[in-house]
Amino acid sequence: MLKSIIRKEILSNLLSYKFSIITILSTILILVSIFVMYRDYCLALENHDILRKESSRGVEVIPPTPLGIFAKGLDENLCRSWELQGVGVEISSEGQKSLNNLFKLFTVPDLLYVIKVILSLCAMLFTFDIICGEKETGTLRQTISNNVKRPILIIGKWIGGFISFILPFFMAVLLGTIFVTLSPMVDMNAQDWAKLGLFLLISVIYLAAFFSLGLLISCLTHRSSTSLVISLFVWAIFVFLIPNLGNILARQFVEIPTVQQLELKRGQIMNRARFELKRIPKTQPDFEKRLKALEFRTIKEGDQLDEDYRNRINSLVKVSQSITGFSPAPAFTLLATDIMGTGVAEERRLKKAAQDYKDFCVHLYYIDESVDEESELPDFHYQRSSVKEILGQGGLSNCLILILFNILFFTGAYVAFLRYDVR
Amino acid sequence: MLKTIIAKEFLNNILNLRFMIGLVLCLLVTVACIMILAHDYRQEIKDYHARMNIQDETLDNYAVANKYRLIRMLRPQKPPERFRPLIIGIPGNEDLGFFDYNPLPVLFPPLDFLFIVTIIMSLLAMLFSYDAIAGERQSGTLRLVISNSISRTKVLFGKFIGGSASLLIPFILALLVGVLYVSVNPAIQWDSSAWAELALLTAASITFITLFYLLGLMVSTFSRYSAVSILNCLFLWVLLILVIPNVCPYISAQLYRIPSIKETERRDREIERHSIEVAREYMKESVKEFKLKYGGLFSEFESMEFGGIGGWFVLGRDAGPEHQKAAQQRENADPEFKAMVDAFREEVEKARDELMRIRRANPVWDDLHRKAVVQTKLAKNLACISPFANFVYVARDLTGTGLRSLEYFEQTKDEYKGQFGSYVDKKIDDAREKNPALEEESLLDVSDRPRFVFKEEALKDKLTEVLPYWGILILFNVVFFVSAFAGFMRYDVR
Repeated sequence: MLKSIIRKEILSNLLSYKFSIITILSTILILVSIFVMYRDYCLALENHDILRKESSRGVEVIPPTPLGIFAKGLDENLCRSWELQGVGVEISSEGQKSLNNLFKLFTVPDLLYVIKVILSLCAMLFTFDIICGEKETGTLRQTISNNVKRPILIIGKWIGGFISFILPFFMAVLLGTIFVTLSPMVDMNAQDWAKLGLFLLISVIYLAAFFSLGLLISCLTHRSSTSLVISLFVWAIFVFLIPNLGNILARQFVEIPTVQQLELKRGQIMNRARFELKRIPKTQPDFEKRLKALEFRTIKEGDQLDEDYRNRINSLVKVSQSITGFSPAPAFTLLATDIMGTGVAEERRLKKAAQDYKDFCVHLYYIDESVDEESELPDFHYQRSSVKEILGQGGLSNCLILILFNILFFTGAYVAFLRYDVR
Repeated sequence: MLKTIIAKEFLNNILNLRFMIGLVLCLLVTVACIMILAHDYRQEIKDYHARMNIQDETLDNYAVANKYRLIRMLRPQKPPERFRPLIIGIPGNEDLGFFDYNPLPVLFPPLDFLFIVTIIMSLLAMLFSYDAIAGERQSGTLRLVISNSISRTKVLFGKFIGGSASLLIPFILALLVGVLYVSVNPAIQWDSSAWAELALLTAASITFITLFYLLGLMVSTFSRYSAVSILNCLFLWVLLILVIPNVCPYISAQLYRIPSIKETERRDREIERHSIEVAREYMKESVKEFKLKYGGLFSEFESMEFGGIGGWFVLGRDAGPEHQKAAQQRENADPEFKAMVDAFREEVEKARDELMRIRRANPVWDDLHRKAVVQTKLAKNLACISPFANFVYVARDLTGTGLRSLEYFEQTKDEYKGQFGSYVDKKIDDAREKNPALEEESLLDVSDRPRFVFKEEALKDKLTEVLPYWGILILFNVVFFVSAFAGFMRYDVR
């Protein structure tokens, strides 16, 4: 019986106008998004090659990841070239930003955005009338009057509906991925493929949560127009309201100075050091020693400032995550960008690596005194996180949140359907 | 009769579930948003004052008699936008130049008044109108209405006016509550121009909301069933709000490529190197000619490393001070030597002129900025197909939270830097007069320096900028209404 229900659900979806319009929309969007972001990646790669060639010693820059095509996240910021300074780490060139300011006004249309915003809406549009719509047409009463158990019916509807919804998505992503991988500019290794696979799996879990949510709303309402209105508002709350409001709400709990203030404080430390340096007579025999001590102290003061700022940012991210935990969208965004190596965790890791490298160089120069010239310092090496590391860095908890939402919404729908008045 | 239809449409809508949900959502989101943003604004003001204090302290204690370093120390600070409790401004270019920054706004764009209008209200508008015609046809009431002596034009007008009025209630109520909060909050001090801007922003928002109501109405007049109508409406909504504006900057970047700043820097350096090579080549030829013409006298001058005259072009470095002194002495003693040196000096000047000519003719930066302007314009014009983009331009530029405000700040900052530069020149000259031994590292008292005060751009100038985009929004309204009208005239009400 389950098979028949699944088959009926798939067939009725395939023949519906809703299926045609959603399939056309999602396919076009996914392909356009992958193509547009692929071109963006090519530009980023060209820019990286120029930066690499132009970089003098001490200037570091990491290449953009091809996975940024699917989820750009913070990759643009991660791939800026930077260099260690006495106080802080500085972005080495002003010439890395885009001159087209319009990018600042609108969101990046990558696959992550398409899945998070548009496909989640499509998922809810697929299910808003799955139960109440059948009740309105009277077919639900007829089905139930047969020897069909309600649990089997709702599971069948879920499986059939979800298969018909997710298949076009997979086809479009597959087409887009083939296009990307055939390009000579994109070089993806086994690790990248594993990450892409994981990203798609997480996307399916995320979409399943919205699919179940739509089912739940459909089971709680008796008219499809009511279900649609509620579905749309719940979608807006989950996808836009909670993540975006949570982000600014978190700022009320964690006070963070602006980057401009941080920069001014760094400048103040440098100016003070310059002023103190003038007071040390160059003729004194221990001038070199005192100079080094002053430099060391200045570096440490700057590091303290940076550490304080980064700790505050980390607290902010934590608070924000706690507030936005009521919606699957933020968990999905954070997890997806982390998996693709373009997220907050990767950014934190790069900053830590830069700071560790700086500490190491400072140690060699000021404490060990084993190097005298900048050219003697070791090179900076950075490798983006592996899948195992990502899951260890909090990725698993976001993954659990998504699964939990799935269980919660599906259980809700299940219970509501068991008590549903089909008349 | 028109009044009756308006009243019926109005009552029908406000008794509907979607009205209640819309009202509650609008009120909750607007109030929560304004309260949080007002608190955020207070923090921003605090941060701004802290930045000003650090800046003053730095200049008061560490200003030195070196213009270049003083200007580098100077960082004019932008105060938070006065509309910050309603709309979050976009970050300036300088914010991207820091290694440390807050990554959350990149991943989760913050929520503000713009979000309420562009997402919640546009969605609500379509939910109000998607079944205005098709729904009534399905329930059979449209046939009854039309069978009376009433023109279709009146029915459509009535539906538009009644529906829009009921739709605007949640928005106006939420806005009023927000305005009340802003006016009683002591941290927010708005002058008359700010209130005028708010009034204009409200008018622009109403234009945007009615546009989506009309779009829904238009789709409804072309659909037989409300289920089809809502799907078509949502399809259009997704395209107009979520897809077109976001894709346009990327499409324009592909259609009209511009070199990166880094690439331009590289080309600039190449031209610089080329200009030096040309000047050197010229001097090489000149040296050969001088050797032939002056023989031993010129060899003597050459051994003095040309007395430092154009040494950089000829030797690739500066001549030592002892050579400069020796050449000077020889020049004073021997008129023939002096004539040769003068002729050589002229040649060096010619080489320098050639170098400057090549550098002045260097087109790379002008080219880049010209291309960037074209690309941005192209992206802006492409995005104009979407009402969302037009509304964002109008709302942001009107309230000083957009790109124009950033440009305006840069402009006032440059003007101030020029003013400060003249002040520093005068100050250093005065200090040097008093103390001729003044060094570049000596401390300089700049306590009487001109202070940077950021003033909002005049409302008239802002309006001139936003009117074309507002005009497009009105045009969209007209087009959708005319289309709805045409659709309804041919609509089969059975």
